[in-house]
Amino acid sequence: MATSTPALAPVAGKTAQQLFAERTKRIEDALQLKQPDSVPIVLFLGYMLAEMGGITRQEQHEDAEKENRLLEEAARRFPADSVTGLLNNPAAPLAVGDRMTRFPGHGLPPNGSFQFVEGEYMKPEDYDAFIDDPADWSIRKYWPRVFPELEGLAMLPPLGMAAFGTYSLFDLGVMKAPPVAAAFRAFANAIEAGAATDARLIATVQLLAGEGVAWPPFAGCPIIEAPFDFMSDTLRGMRGIMLDVHRRPEKLLAAEEKVLKFELEFAINWCRAVGINRAFIPLHRGSDGFMSFAQYEKFYWPQLKALQLGLVEAGIMPLVFYEGVWDQRLKYLAELPRGKTAGWFQFSDIYKVKEVLGETMCILGGMRNSLLQAGTAEQVRAETKKLCEVVGKNGGFIMSTGIGEMEGCKPELVQVWVDAAKEFGVY
Amino acid sequence: MTRPLVEAIADMREDDALREVDTQLQNGSDPLQILEDCRQAMSLVGQRFEAGEYFVPELILAGEMLKEISARVKPKLTQTAGVKKHGSVVVGTVQGDIHDIGKDIVVFMLDVNGYEVYDLGVDVAPEKFIEKMKEVKPDVIALSGFLTLSYDSMKNTIAAIEAAGLRQGSKIMIGGGTVDEQIRAFAGADAFGKDAMAAVALAKQWTGGN
Repeated sequence: MATSTPALAPVAGKTAQQLFAERTKRIEDALQLKQPDSVPIVLFLGYMLAEMGGITRQEQHEDAEKENRLLEEAARRFPADSVTGLLNNPAAPLAVGDRMTRFPGHGLPPNGSFQFVEGEYMKPEDYDAFIDDPADWSIRKYWPRVFPELEGLAMLPPLGMAAFGTYSLFDLGVMKAPPVAAAFRAFANAIEAGAATDARLIATVQLLAGEGVAWPPFAGCPIIEAPFDFMSDTLRGMRGIMLDVHRRPEKLLAAEEKVLKFELEFAINWCRAVGINRAFIPLHRGSDGFMSFAQYEKFYWPQLKALQLGLVEAGIMPLVFYEGVWDQRLKYLAELPRGKTAGWFQFSDIYKVKEVLGETMCILGGMRNSLLQAGTAEQVRAETKKLCEVVGKNGGFIMSTGIGEMEGCKPELVQVWVDAAKEFGVY
Repeated sequence: MTRPLVEAIADMREDDALREVDTQLQNGSDPLQILEDCRQAMSLVGQRFEAGEYFVPELILAGEMLKEISARVKPKLTQTAGVKKHGSVVVGTVQGDIHDIGKDIVVFMLDVNGYEVYDLGVDVAPEKFIEKMKEVKPDVIALSGFLTLSYDSMKNTIAAIEAAGLRQGSKIMIGGGTVDEQIRAFAGADAFGKDAMAAVALAKQWTGGN
């Protein structure tokens, strides 16, 4: 029933197709470090949609129709270049009983915020098995540990036995064992849920495109991480990884080398299959304050740089979310090839970012969420003007909130922001 | 001259530190002296963290060493050491948010700077803060949060403290990478801090500690 809402009113007499083309080009130009006709503005509305529509966050996650209706209303109200709702969905995690996420209505109240539950899911003694054969360890040891519905996979023979040709078929009987069979069924359910989530996201961007709203820069991108974060976020956890830095540095480095290799292969294959030339890399522990420069130069940056350069070499633009504050680390980012990567900055000093990286990469972000939540209209307008003039200078800037989740932002302040961006952002 | 145990802990030489403890315990050293060495070492770790020399890996490893040493020393303890505290702080990550890294660093730094810290953990409901405030009558309340959703929880918690009649005379700080002056005013806190050093500075300012 998504089509029950009337089409967006034409802006300045333009058709939806014209608007879509114009907005897409605006975002593309900025990403390529060029100067578009005006500063593009992208809204990652997230849970703000539920707040505006008076529905629970659980409903927003689980009811595509409701979310699409709210997205259309928001797109009509805020004439931004791109407008996005939620990108994650509980269906696949629920199908496998995921222990590392909590969704509204599933481990959280219906109006809670999605969160990752970090843990030491990989133990120090798992390093050797991980380095030796990450796939075998992940499927037979790690999945049963973090996805309870897949516990039966622990009964599988070592995956290397698959190389035994006909003889490996003689072992297939083990798959009939009830826990293994149950795991395969749960896995099949998760695949269906994942495919349904993809279909929903595609339907939503198409619906909005039909109304003249450009795709968000991250649409359809593969998600990968800095190898250090890969080892930290879903495997060792914060406490574990920080101890590894002191207790087993060589193993950590060897594991990162493995991760770098298969992440690159994954992202490149994904991009070729989907026909997209960007990859999304959200970063976590590289921010100022987590580790020393010496540690950063040993465990974080070389691997992250190699990952980005590997993508660039394959014709893929890394879109990197520099979470936290990177003010002390901008000089490293300046080593990246000009115009080949983009950086979304959460809490870094955005004016300093422009100064140091303005010639290196397209900058995303700029607007503080706190200002849209607790500021005044005058403050929002003044800040938007300054952002357009300083960070927007000569192009290469896409305005968005620093935090890609606008829960709690006041609609009337978002309105002021978008209007001001359209007023002051014209080149 | 610095004592070898203090030096080993402060320099992150875990194996050396544990060996030193074992040797001292075998030689019949006073367990309280070992704990005093730990206290001094932790204070050095805190100073190096403040100076930007140490970061999260060192705080976590220091905490681990302390835990391991305590486990070895505890069975030998016959009396407990009383250390005079500058004041008390009730700390927690507010309701709906389970981020603990920043909070844990604040707890560590307040502790090594001589504060009695009551850590309520994460996803702490306003009633839990109030309950603890009634119990221990803290000098300072510190609310932590990372999600933008925590802004509302901070506001709700402070409103609940007010409604319970405990706001008068209490000092409330909020912290976390995402808070700023805007959020301080929004939540109704007395101050906000960008990092753990700011939390210590505020506590000292409010309790007259040094």
